[in-house]
Amino acid sequence: MTVLVSTTSPRPEKRRSHASREASRAGGRRVLPHLVLVGLILYFALPFWWLIVASTKDQATLFSGDTSPLWFGKFNLIDNIQLLFTYSNGLYWHWLGNSFLYALTGGIGATVISVLAGYGFAQYRFAGRTPFFALVLGSVMVPATALVIPMFVMFSATHLTNTMWAVILPSMLNPFGVYLMRVYTQDAIPDEMIDAARMDGAGELRIFFRVALPLLRPALVTVLLLSVVGTWNNYFLPLVMFSNPNLFPVTVGLGALQTQAGVNTGGQSLWTIVIVGALVSVIPLIIAFLTLQKYWQGGLSLGSVK
Amino acid sequence: MLSSTIERRSVTPDRAFLKKPGRLGSGVSARRARWGWLFVAPFAVFLVLFLLTPLVYAFILSLQNKTVATGTHWVGLDNYAKAFTDPLFLEGVWLVVRFSIILIPIQMLVSLGAALLLDSITSRFSKFSRLMIFVPYAVPAVIGALMWGFLYSPSFGPAAEVAGWFGLNAPQLLSPDNIFGSLVNVVTWQWAGYYMIIIYAALQGIDTSIYEAAKIDGANAWQTALRIKIPMISSSLVLILVFALIGTLQFFTEPQILRSMASGSITASYTPNIYAYTLAFSYSQFNYASAISFALGLVVFVGSYIFLHFTRKKSGLNS
Amino acid sequence: MKKILATGGVAIMLAATLSGCSTGAAEASCQNKIVNSAATVVNVWAWYPEFESVVDLFNNTHDKVQVCWTNVGAGNDEYTKFSTAIEAGSGAPDVIMLETEVVQSYIPRDALADLTSYTADIKQNYSEGAWADESSGAGVYAIPVDGGPVGMLYRKDIFDKYGIAVPTTWEEYAAAAQALKDAGSTSMITDFAGNGRAYQQALFAQAGSIPYTVDGTNVTVDLNDAASLKVLTYWQDLVSKGLVGTEDASTTDYNTHLVDGTYASTIAAAWLPGYLAGFTGAESGAVWQAAPIPQWAGETPKQVNIGGSAFSVTSQAKDKDAAATVAKDIFGTEEAWKLGIEKAALFPLWKPILTSSYFTDRAYDFFGGQQINKDVFLAAANDYSGFQVSPFQNLAYDKLTEAVNSVSSGAATPADALATYQKAVTEYATSQGYTVK
Repeated sequence: MTVLVSTTSPRPEKRRSHASREASRAGGRRVLPHLVLVGLILYFALPFWWLIVASTKDQATLFSGDTSPLWFGKFNLIDNIQLLFTYSNGLYWHWLGNSFLYALTGGIGATVISVLAGYGFAQYRFAGRTPFFALVLGSVMVPATALVIPMFVMFSATHLTNTMWAVILPSMLNPFGVYLMRVYTQDAIPDEMIDAARMDGAGELRIFFRVALPLLRPALVTVLLLSVVGTWNNYFLPLVMFSNPNLFPVTVGLGALQTQAGVNTGGQSLWTIVIVGALVSVIPLIIAFLTLQKYWQGGLSLGSVK
Repeated sequence: MLSSTIERRSVTPDRAFLKKPGRLGSGVSARRARWGWLFVAPFAVFLVLFLLTPLVYAFILSLQNKTVATGTHWVGLDNYAKAFTDPLFLEGVWLVVRFSIILIPIQMLVSLGAALLLDSITSRFSKFSRLMIFVPYAVPAVIGALMWGFLYSPSFGPAAEVAGWFGLNAPQLLSPDNIFGSLVNVVTWQWAGYYMIIIYAALQGIDTSIYEAAKIDGANAWQTALRIKIPMISSSLVLILVFALIGTLQFFTEPQILRSMASGSITASYTPNIYAYTLAFSYSQFNYASAISFALGLVVFVGSYIFLHFTRKKSGLNS
Repeated sequence: MKKILATGGVAIMLAATLSGCSTGAAEASCQNKIVNSAATVVNVWAWYPEFESVVDLFNNTHDKVQVCWTNVGAGNDEYTKFSTAIEAGSGAPDVIMLETEVVQSYIPRDALADLTSYTADIKQNYSEGAWADESSGAGVYAIPVDGGPVGMLYRKDIFDKYGIAVPTTWEEYAAAAQALKDAGSTSMITDFAGNGRAYQQALFAQAGSIPYTVDGTNVTVDLNDAASLKVLTYWQDLVSKGLVGTEDASTTDYNTHLVDGTYASTIAAAWLPGYLAGFTGAESGAVWQAAPIPQWAGETPKQVNIGGSAFSVTSQAKDKDAAATVAKDIFGTEEAWKLGIEKAALFPLWKPILTSSYFTDRAYDFFGGQQINKDVFLAAANDYSGFQVSPFQNLAYDKLTEAVNSVSSGAATPADALATYQKAVTEYATSQGYTVK
């Protein structure tokens, strides 16, 4: 198992100043690439634009066909948001809160466990290490559907279905995070450094917390980010584990609302709620990605992920 | 940075493996080994509880059969024999294989193209583009499929409007002929940005002096990209490919969500995972569903193993 | 790093507050209020629209039993959870709303409790057909709630505009479809949905198809019969001439097309009008009327049913007596039914309200004041004599969907499609241990 990781953080500034000089020299030849970029942006932004536009329409305008799906009609956003947050006594607030709770606790748990295990695999030789690590890699390939039914039976037997643990605990298992942390640890922490610390009489725990952990920070943030996003986006596991709507994360809640809107029980403006709900639900992660840019842009290069 | 690391790694194999035991005496190494297990222990517990136990349980289920007449009984590998001769399962496998063959190159082309573009131009605009292309990754697959479902709608989607300008009928993007392409589009939209960021970061890590040398040799931007940049990031490309392959073979959420709008195009056995899901939850054939899941796991495992075998020099994944 | 950790901590606390700390407790929390907290609580899964008021009514009028209602999803979403719970041996509710057509599928899985001993006093409140639908052998496994007698809803304004008389036979219906097209109308007569499986099964039955008989583990499967072939060929002819649509039902596109004039008529169950009124995008000036379903010329008129639902007590119910009380009483009063009819547009199977003038004479604004129950649906309901579905209806429906789609797309002839359908269902039944005759 070798490595796909660099210990040096990219130094874009230095290289970029050179590149921008190059760019300004090239001048007019840059039109075509920019046009291609505009095309790419239009493509990737299209569904978002549709979502924003659709969120401002009431159900009648949405389906009447009088307005373009990509342009505004009667502006009804405020009412729609009000409808969303008052739906079934503010159920949507629960969903949003649940998504945060599951993603953060599951994500932090997964990160802690992965860092410990990755460090253990990288720094210590112990009986069974090689087959164990092979198992870690193999487990990335197990289809989720194979696990969900037996997992439900296990949780049900221990009365954990319909509790948040049914989603948080399985989310803390992130074999790929362990793989990343191991690979990164091997590269980022010179053995000489550890040996030197040992010579100084530092205990293993002290070495981990004082010497290793600060060096592992970039990988740590990456694993945290990947785990949080993974749990936030999870659909199948909470779908099976929860029957109590107050426990749904926002993905399952919106999925359930969508089927209800499809069979159109009772003529409520369910589609409006689904669409505004989808808009509101994608905002937190987008904000997180925008504000944490400097962490993830370097961090994601550490690995290519599920 | 990635490639340079790889180069170094391939000459100097894994330090941890090379370290000779007993350098500090066997007592010390035994104590160390205990520490190793302690660090790995929490993960081991979770792995056993939430992966191995359910997996073993599912495997036991797959060796049994349950019928109304006879109850539960052992059938050995009968369910597997059935799976590998079940046309519905085989068609599903063939579909995801075809899907991988078509989707992955498209996805790679889009993400590689975008990354190369972004690597070669620097402006505020390119920074903005990078974000915009990446953002779909932050959208749950359920919501992504829901949005595209609306965009594909022959009456409410923009396709109908655009076709209308030319006096054409709305394209049936959810019809059996077109659903394949429509699904390719959803997945590309969702993941290309993420792959783009990984490739982009790898490109940023390349030592720029190499470009200088190429320029002196008279290489243009196109040649630099093709001859220098791509080979130097090939290892991360291969790793992305493996994960895309594993993900695609397990294709589930997007077709499952679009199924409610396209029953004629997406059947109950469209992909192996949908088939397993249907068997378990709709036809109450939990045993056979477990066997299908395992059979799929086997296909994924063998598929990615073969792929890695042929690309092991590139990927560096040669433990 | 510390800052990130601190922010994370705050965020988790915030999230926990938002989600109401609904952690730990294994009991499902209810979507309604429990009035008498000392009473036995019965957990109910259901997805009726406006169901909360019905639950409140029950809780306010019962001292010893209280309903704790959860909407876990409509149709398949709920069944998926129920199936998982059956397999796990726990996690099912005490009382569950099931569509009538799936009740038979849960009986052989021992998922439902036999209610025979609880129902002696209420059996006469339901028609024999409705009761038979929930029975298997000597047992009864669900209390009927609403039904779906079928009629034809049509756009009188479109019919009038193109001079089309209301068809009473299928032959006239096909002629009307052709006339509509010949007259240059942009409307098609109706849609033949690929996923309209209950609808197609009913149309086959109307022509005389008896797909299943079930006696314990002995079943007969007769899907490739002359009646089904006749019906499927009839529709294939309309599809191939472009006289009917083939889009999937229950999509937003379809719902809109139902009311925007794309289709001039729809063969529909009595519960559809309640939904139609809620669909958006209705064409202004639309005039709706209801008429009986067309019949096959020269044959005895036959009524059919699509959909409808019932309440079952699950075999995991802790207190079967209390659960049976809920299943029987929740839609067993006039007050509850008035809510069900006025707010949720259900078609009652409970005779006291079904035969009351309140229901029979009810005029519907959506149909321009037409008394659609008296005109169409009551007769349809009275003539309906029950229908035997299979104990593996999910699979049968999926195979029917495949058959219909293969015919509509021209990939198979009706005869081939039905043969494939017959073969697939038979194979499945055999593999499940049924003796297929």
